[in-house]
Amino acid sequence: MSAAPAVVVERLGKIFRPPAGLGAMLRGRFFGAPLHALADVSLTVATGEIACVMGPNGAGKSTLVRILGGLLLPSSGHARAAGIDVIAGDSAFRRRVAFVVGDERSFHYRVSGRGNLHYFAALHGLTGATARRRAAELLERVGLGAAADRRYREYSRGMRQRLALARGLLGDPQVLLLDEPTLGLDPRGARDMRAFLRDDVIRKSGRTAIVCSNDPSEARALADRVLFLDGGRLRGEAPPDRIEAELGL
Amino acid sequence: MSQTTSVRWFLVVLLAFIRRELTALGGYRAAFLIRLFGLALGVGGMVFLSRFVGAAANPHLAAYGGNYLGFMVLGLLAAEFQQVGVSGLSQRIRVAQMMGTLEAELATPAPPGMVLGAAPVYEFGTAALRSTAYLVGASLLLDLNLDHANWGTLVLAVPLVIAAFSGLGLLAAGTTMLVRRLNPVATVIGSVSFFLSGVMYPVTVLPEWLRAVGRALPLTHTLALLRGALLVGASPAALADSFLALAIFAAVLAPLGAVVFRFALRRTRIDGSLSHY
Repeated sequence: MSAAPAVVVERLGKIFRPPAGLGAMLRGRFFGAPLHALADVSLTVATGEIACVMGPNGAGKSTLVRILGGLLLPSSGHARAAGIDVIAGDSAFRRRVAFVVGDERSFHYRVSGRGNLHYFAALHGLTGATARRRAAELLERVGLGAAADRRYREYSRGMRQRLALARGLLGDPQVLLLDEPTLGLDPRGARDMRAFLRDDVIRKSGRTAIVCSNDPSEARALADRVLFLDGGRLRGEAPPDRIEAELGL
Repeated sequence: MSQTTSVRWFLVVLLAFIRRELTALGGYRAAFLIRLFGLALGVGGMVFLSRFVGAAANPHLAAYGGNYLGFMVLGLLAAEFQQVGVSGLSQRIRVAQMMGTLEAELATPAPPGMVLGAAPVYEFGTAALRSTAYLVGASLLLDLNLDHANWGTLVLAVPLVIAAFSGLGLLAAGTTMLVRRLNPVATVIGSVSFFLSGVMYPVTVLPEWLRAVGRALPLTHTLALLRGALLVGASPAALADSFLALAIFAAVLAPLGAVVFRFALRRTRIDGSLSHY
């Protein structure tokens, strides 16, 4: 593992200001109470490392990976991923950093897995035969070769997660950001997915990954290092075999 | 990224978007047939309405060759173009927010303008095809006479019309992203324009003060250009006032819309509302 960090986060903070209710707006207040989603978070992830960010719901995990993926702007502090400031969030950044959106609704339900992937290949700038070849290759790689032409709405939860992963790999990124990649999968499906992610997608390609999870077995199976986030603050870190002790389980 | 690369990439995205839309449309056959049926009923209604109004030999129609069918068809087509221009982008954003695809699309290397721009281009394209089909059908099957049309005037007018409506579209899309509701701008512009721009009746029937308000709407000038070009064969010089008014709308609305849209996009990166609905 190289010592050069692929991800550097310095004193990152994020405050959301939700819109006020109608009554408050009539009194001249347009925002509700500020919500501190992240406060003073600093961390580094070395190139080739798999870091797992753990924490309860609302700890700030999704906010952190969305900022690192360039989808959200931080309120304070700095972060760089694959050598680029996350605030840029431009094409060059998105080619190097892939936020794997695992939301089931993030594909078109009436279009096949292959059709969906072709569409996203175009958004990665892949054209014609190159796009078709890349999509076919990734569908095979994530085990969806036989189901590629079935409509997305016919896919099981596990197949949808695999397709989301294939989409994240279209651009061959250096840094992968995964938000609960095995959420909702059955135990065997989750185990297979983790092994595939760790060995095939990340290790073999020398990628760096940050995985958000609140499942200790996921963190143990995937991570080199586990970071604990709670109430928007980084509370510490531990090797994967110390998770239960750290969490007091 | 060079200009050529950007244009080429945009065409790739546009084709992929169209392919995806057509594939999805295949699953909505019943809805598609019902829409066709609705269109047929609408055309039938236009024919009988034009016979009724034509029979009255209304003096307000004299400036349009007394042809109410042509007057009305062009009015509705232009109103549809405005609707597409104002709503195309915001509807695309809203649908993608509700379906949940927007965040995943904007997480790709394609710039946001490219991701979202394919939809309005596709909508303008299909509206143009529909309009052409209407005009050809109405002139072949009904008594719409386009013999005197000045196609050169039309060709000059179309880019201005698209630029003005696209500016409104960017403004509407920005507002949609900020308020996360389907398009307050489109609703207001659509209903006010229908009332004051002369979609179904000539603006000469309106009192002067309402006509003055109507002149502040791009659809009023679009209709003047389309009807002038297609129904009475007016030259660009004869329609100079409307050309100038639309050029001013385009010059103001396009950059203003772009600024509002960029601001709204940045707001979504601040408040994390890309995937909210």
